[in-house]
Amino acid sequence: MTTPAIPVAIQSDARASRGLWGDAVRRLVRNRPALLGLFFIAVFVLAAIFAPFLAPYPPNEGSLVNRLQTPSREHIMGTDLQGRDEFSRILYGAQVSLVAGVSSVVVGVLIGGTIGALAGGIGGKVDSVLMRVVDVMLSIPGILLAIGIVAWLDRGLPQIIFAVAIVNVPIFARILRGSLLSLRESDYVTASRSLGASGSRLLLRHMLPNSLTPLIVACTLALATAIIDVAGLGFLGLGPPDPRTPEWGTMLTDSTKFLRQAPWLLFFPGAAIVISAIGFNLLGDGMRESLDPRMRR
Amino acid sequence: MTASAPLLSVQDLVVRFRTHEGTIHAVNGVTFQLDEGERLGLVGESGCGKSVTNLALIRLLPQPAGRIEGGTVLFDGQDLTQLREDELRAIRGRDIAMIFQDPMTSLNPVLTIEEQMVETIQAHKEMPKADARARAIELLNLVGIPKPETRLKSFPHQFSGGMRQRVMIAMALALAPKLMIADEPTTALDVTIQAQVLELLRDLTDESRTALILITHDLGVVAGMTNRINVMYAGFVVESATTLDLFAEPSHPYTVGLLHSIPRLDAEEDEPLVPIEGRPPDMRHAPTGCPFAPRCRWRLETCWSQNPTLLPMIAGTPVVMTGAAATHRIACHNRPTAEDRVAGRPLAPGFMAAPAPPGAIDEVGAGHLGGTPDGFEGLVNAIQAEEGPISMAPSAGALPLPPEPEHHNDGVFHDD
Repeated sequence: MTTPAIPVAIQSDARASRGLWGDAVRRLVRNRPALLGLFFIAVFVLAAIFAPFLAPYPPNEGSLVNRLQTPSREHIMGTDLQGRDEFSRILYGAQVSLVAGVSSVVVGVLIGGTIGALAGGIGGKVDSVLMRVVDVMLSIPGILLAIGIVAWLDRGLPQIIFAVAIVNVPIFARILRGSLLSLRESDYVTASRSLGASGSRLLLRHMLPNSLTPLIVACTLALATAIIDVAGLGFLGLGPPDPRTPEWGTMLTDSTKFLRQAPWLLFFPGAAIVISAIGFNLLGDGMRESLDPRMRR
Repeated sequence: MTASAPLLSVQDLVVRFRTHEGTIHAVNGVTFQLDEGERLGLVGESGCGKSVTNLALIRLLPQPAGRIEGGTVLFDGQDLTQLREDELRAIRGRDIAMIFQDPMTSLNPVLTIEEQMVETIQAHKEMPKADARARAIELLNLVGIPKPETRLKSFPHQFSGGMRQRVMIAMALALAPKLMIADEPTTALDVTIQAQVLELLRDLTDESRTALILITHDLGVVAGMTNRINVMYAGFVVESATTLDLFAEPSHPYTVGLLHSIPRLDAEEDEPLVPIEGRPPDMRHAPTGCPFAPRCRWRLETCWSQNPTLLPMIAGTPVVMTGAAATHRIACHNRPTAEDRVAGRPLAPGFMAAPAPPGAIDEVGAGHLGGTPDGFEGLVNAIQAEEGPISMAPSAGALPLPPEPEHHNDGVFHDD
């Protein structure tokens, strides 16, 4: 990583130590698409957190009298077959998506990161065996693997989270292993070894912190696919077992039966999925650019 | 350790790299010794095995390609090639420290200077963090970093190259090692900073009686820094002498070539620089004869078939390996005479470099005439003398035009 050599005397006090992360944040703020992504994510997260306060109606109450109403002042996104307020259900649906998305990525990164760290940190036979397992996982299409896991473990939110996490495991494992392998040959790791640093110390203190940036970017991008995967499982009828749970993918499936009468029931959950996924995608791309030293401007 | 045993004794060290393109014969039986507080220079061009020799000493060869395939490295009575990894780890940093070429990439970018220095100190010494920090400040002061208390909190990217190398030196000195290995410590630095860093390195190792191995491709750097010099070529030590002897009496054709390719302030006006022609040999094949033969102007027929061993200049003298009385040794079948050394080429009338046997690479050109001016012009003149003027136009394709001499060695070697 080459940063311009700034004369020490001039630079020491005036420009306080911002470090790698400070610089990255500054570059991120200047990146318009990333800011847009951040805005979408903020809307999504706030909707999920404040759903009980923002929702004009409870998500599971409605009267059949009000069924399939077009968007109006009372129901800005209309109502569904049971007369439930679509807007309220979208807000509560954000909770399901956020929880499922974030926890599946966390679980995925923990499993995948551990595999990658062991493979890249220990190397040799451990590396070969773990990477072949990962290759096998990668050879199965993601959503198919998730469907298989949910079918095997039965329906339920924890199962969905686990399934989507497993889909992401090989991605995280490969990314972390790759950056660890390149760092193992880096000058400062050799320098630390020459000064007597132990293997675990090299891995935990020198290599892992330096390999986190690609992993963080991958996590952000994985959040987008996780939200889509969760919705996809719901759309395929493998959503939460309680049919009343407001889940975007399930809502999408339910709406297809009334496509002619109530097209908005397709539009709003679809838009919610797209906007939250695009938000994480834009942010992820922006972070990749701002954290990658080669793209520094 | 008895008084007579050297601090470091490397015996017949052989290092090989297994790569997809074949086995690289990186170090081919290197033997040298080092006394406490002595400063040894390892000189040679890129790829001659000088860095690999030292990485092998503390077993930091790139894995899994690099392997020590023979020899012993006795340090302080212990054979480093036989130690377990955890035993070695205790020695690295504490007894043997290393400084690398590029200070820009030798520090961890995500940790502050304090974290890195304290970590190094605490890796070897049980001491509270505050004490380690105080030691770090002391060391930074020692290497001349202003306001060390505040600079400790800085990240590496907030330091200039010279400052970073000072930090590296401070870290290497943290535990008062017995041996310091500096691998081209000033190559990546500005010339003005180079001198400062070298001086610092010399003074600090002097004070602590730390032995120093200085790896460099720059003869100017070793001249003022070291007690002794080993000249390496293609994984062999080809000449070994005290610094005084080596500069007074450079004897291996390669060393002569090195010295003649550096501009000198005291040179006669218009004295031309004499480059060493050709390239270093392909290390994928073990040389059959002298590894320098393809580029040597003094070579004999035997040079193509027999690799000379490192022997004292005056045959039969007992070999002293270390100290100010170290024997001047050289691996050469046909030593340049004193006059040759001055001229940088063989002066014996009628002497011709022995032609290459079939299949061997000849970088100098067979039948290179002795007693004529050198290089391309020399050859043209020689041909002209025999066959009349030659045209330089492309139409003269029938003429055996000699290859363009490669001006590789302008005193400082370039990485290919």
